[in-house]
Amino acid sequence: MSKKRLIPKLQLRTSSYNKLKMVLVITKQFGHVIEIGDPVSQAKIYQDQAADELIFINIDKDEKSIDKLATIIRQVSQDIFMPMTVGGGVTNENDFRILLANGADKIAINTNAITDTSLISRTAKRFGSQCVVVSIDYKVDEMGINKVFINGGQERLNMDVVDWARKAEDLGAGEILLTSIDRDGMRNGLDLETISKVAEVVSIPVIAGGGCGLAKHFIDGFLVGKADAVTSGSFFAHRDQNLIQTRSHIKNAGVNIRVHT
Amino acid sequence: MIGIVNYGMGNLLSVYNAFDYLGAEVMICEYPEDLAKVDQVVIPGVGAFKDCIDKINLSGFCDALDEAVIKKAKPTLGICLGMQVMATKGTEGGIHNGLGWFDATVVRLSPGIATMRVPNIGWNDVRVDEKVPLFKGLPSTVDFYLVHSYFMSANNASDVVATYDYNETVTAAVLKDNIFATQFHPEKSQDHGLKILENFIVWRP
Amino acid sequence: MVELKRCKKCLLPETHESIIFDGQGICNICRQNEFKNEKIDWSRRKEELTELIESHRGKYDYDCIIPFSGGKDSTWTLYYLMKEYKLKPLVVRFDHGFLRPNLHENTTKVLRNLGADFHTFTPNWKVVQKLMLQSFLEKGDFCWHCHTGIFSYPMWVALRYNVPLIFWGEPSAEYTSYYSYDQPEEVDEKRFNRYVNLGITALDMAVRLSGTNVDERDFKPYTYPPLRELRKLNYRSVCLGTYIPWDVKKQSKIIHDELGWQGDRVENVPEQYNYEKIECHMQGVRDYIKYVKRGYTRPTHLASIDMRHDRMEREEGLQMINQFEGKKPASLEIFLEMVGLTESEFFEIAQSHSVSPWKLNLVEQEAGEKLPDFNKWTREGKMKREDAEVQLQNWKKSQ
Repeated sequence: MSKKRLIPKLQLRTSSYNKLKMVLVITKQFGHVIEIGDPVSQAKIYQDQAADELIFINIDKDEKSIDKLATIIRQVSQDIFMPMTVGGGVTNENDFRILLANGADKIAINTNAITDTSLISRTAKRFGSQCVVVSIDYKVDEMGINKVFINGGQERLNMDVVDWARKAEDLGAGEILLTSIDRDGMRNGLDLETISKVAEVVSIPVIAGGGCGLAKHFIDGFLVGKADAVTSGSFFAHRDQNLIQTRSHIKNAGVNIRVHT
Repeated sequence: MIGIVNYGMGNLLSVYNAFDYLGAEVMICEYPEDLAKVDQVVIPGVGAFKDCIDKINLSGFCDALDEAVIKKAKPTLGICLGMQVMATKGTEGGIHNGLGWFDATVVRLSPGIATMRVPNIGWNDVRVDEKVPLFKGLPSTVDFYLVHSYFMSANNASDVVATYDYNETVTAAVLKDNIFATQFHPEKSQDHGLKILENFIVWRP
Repeated sequence: MVELKRCKKCLLPETHESIIFDGQGICNICRQNEFKNEKIDWSRRKEELTELIESHRGKYDYDCIIPFSGGKDSTWTLYYLMKEYKLKPLVVRFDHGFLRPNLHENTTKVLRNLGADFHTFTPNWKVVQKLMLQSFLEKGDFCWHCHTGIFSYPMWVALRYNVPLIFWGEPSAEYTSYYSYDQPEEVDEKRFNRYVNLGITALDMAVRLSGTNVDERDFKPYTYPPLRELRKLNYRSVCLGTYIPWDVKKQSKIIHDELGWQGDRVENVPEQYNYEKIECHMQGVRDYIKYVKRGYTRPTHLASIDMRHDRMEREEGLQMINQFEGKKPASLEIFLEMVGLTESEFFEIAQSHSVSPWKLNLVEQEAGEKLPDFNKWTREGKMKREDAEVQLQNWKKSQ
């Protein structure tokens, strides 16, 4: 049985102090961006701390974002020997090809997977389902229902999260990356209810994110949410924790996770 | 000099970077004749069996591989799909002939339990035969990263040097003479994966 | 108060970094210790040490670099290598800014007694203050400058003086499970990233401090040198404790008897442990922050070592922990001045880093007794409140 996975989330953006530099940031409810490090430096740290995988998302929205992302991934690949999922503004098969050729293993698609669902099936066919991660951001609406958001959380669709996850699997997605915008960076715990609903309805792995602030939140994500993997950005940046510490808490709770010594 | 075969499939960059990181001399073999320039051969691969074997044949690598791996017996490493095509035949999308270097058939994972997904993607406990030089310095059970739907079912038990459980015993690595192949990705398995590549660099079967 | 699950043998709690309990409720650090005592061929290791030393002796201006704080472990390392092997070391110290008077006396005594060249470096205090505040805010640990400086700076010295062999003291496997005794523990960049630098390199810290007027060059002492430079040097950066079995009680007694090395009292630590953590006058605050975050601190750590060595019974250990843990140190007022924070901000920040399931039950308490050298600890260089505000406000927005 594959072990549960711990995946740091590395969000990239152009530095507000130096237009030529890409930096890592953490966010709060997809807003309030804080710069916390250098992408290559942090990737190496996560490797030395035995992360299971890395997720890189470029949150800049400009026509050069794929190239900038590819450049960072290429640099990171020289020293990083673990699976990497990469995303942010991926629009077409050519973007997939460029990122895969520069060292990515899996590509995350979000907005463009919804505006053109054939992107999922085309890329799954050409590159393999295991390469295609459909990323779903969502927020609770006034009626308390989870609705899918696109364009970096800017635009709300009249689409239910669970329905979309199921459809994405049917179209050929290999994994679902689920992020609660409400809980993003709030450090109050994951949205266990939604995660477990999605995990129940799809047979592909679910990577859950949005809200980890304590080791306990990760444990709940696995045991209660039934996620296959948990991802976090703020937690490792702003807590007296590292992957090895978090892993040991998770292991002590009885979860089947990799223990690296 | 290590040569990584580029027949048009597979994440070459990670494998190249891993050997480079370890300080080995490594080159990408774009053409079949490049295999004559190298001392060790690496066959990576990601995708489907039929596409892989077709591309190997179309690119002209088939004969060059036979020359380098079988006749000249250069130390050879196969990774993931690169391992699978070394079998006699594969069953993905129909029955197709492989290179036939191992007496084996590539079959689909069938755990038979709903929660055990196919493809299997992730880290798994792999049991390794510690006597094998490629596994030197590793504990007897090691976490490796796997991403696959099919695996090599070998007809000779003695060829199998590593396995893992997925509600059935799944071949994780095979070894025969100068050919070693892994279902898992050493270039994606951090320290333990790099150790295998390090051992391959100095392997003189 | 939250009851923490503890190791059945040594009492380390579930909030101790990297701890994993096995089926018998024994922790991985105890198991590592068992391995150390039962499975390692120490005479073979000693031979390896001799080979390592002889392959470097006399070839460079110094036989080796010994990073040194003046505490029990680095003093033992220096003493052992000079007495047993008659090495010519370059002793290198990174001064974190809080060295105690007795420590200075010990250093003079030890160096004059043994005879070695000594290189000490004290980084820019204004930079240190910013680093202390930033790492306290973001990691609940104000010692980032010290962790990174102590492990990086001597490597730059090794490069500058062209001395490839560097000897550190105890392996981390003694106290945590980032490495275990059955693995080689090289003191390299991987280890630096794995836990030493709190997950933040100097490059990352520079990003975090963007806009606070820090010169890029100020980060050099905290930056790990590039691997390619160290490889050119053919560096070997190892723990002495990989080659000889580490026993702090025995070792402290020897350096005391042979060199006149003196212990010192440490805030909220029983007197019989006066060999431990005597270097830093901020130790009391460091230990207290650990208690706020994790529900245990120095007395548990000391009891656990004794229990692993069968020098203390479990009941005795629990009693010592109850008596000494959880008390606010007198040095807290100094820390607050150095980083420009109020006491309630201190608690707010420290508690935000609580490690589950621990939650501190905050009770107003008097600060503990001042140590005898308290008045000798400098109060120079207080952080201006308006400077602290810049970092504090940025942090508040992210919470």
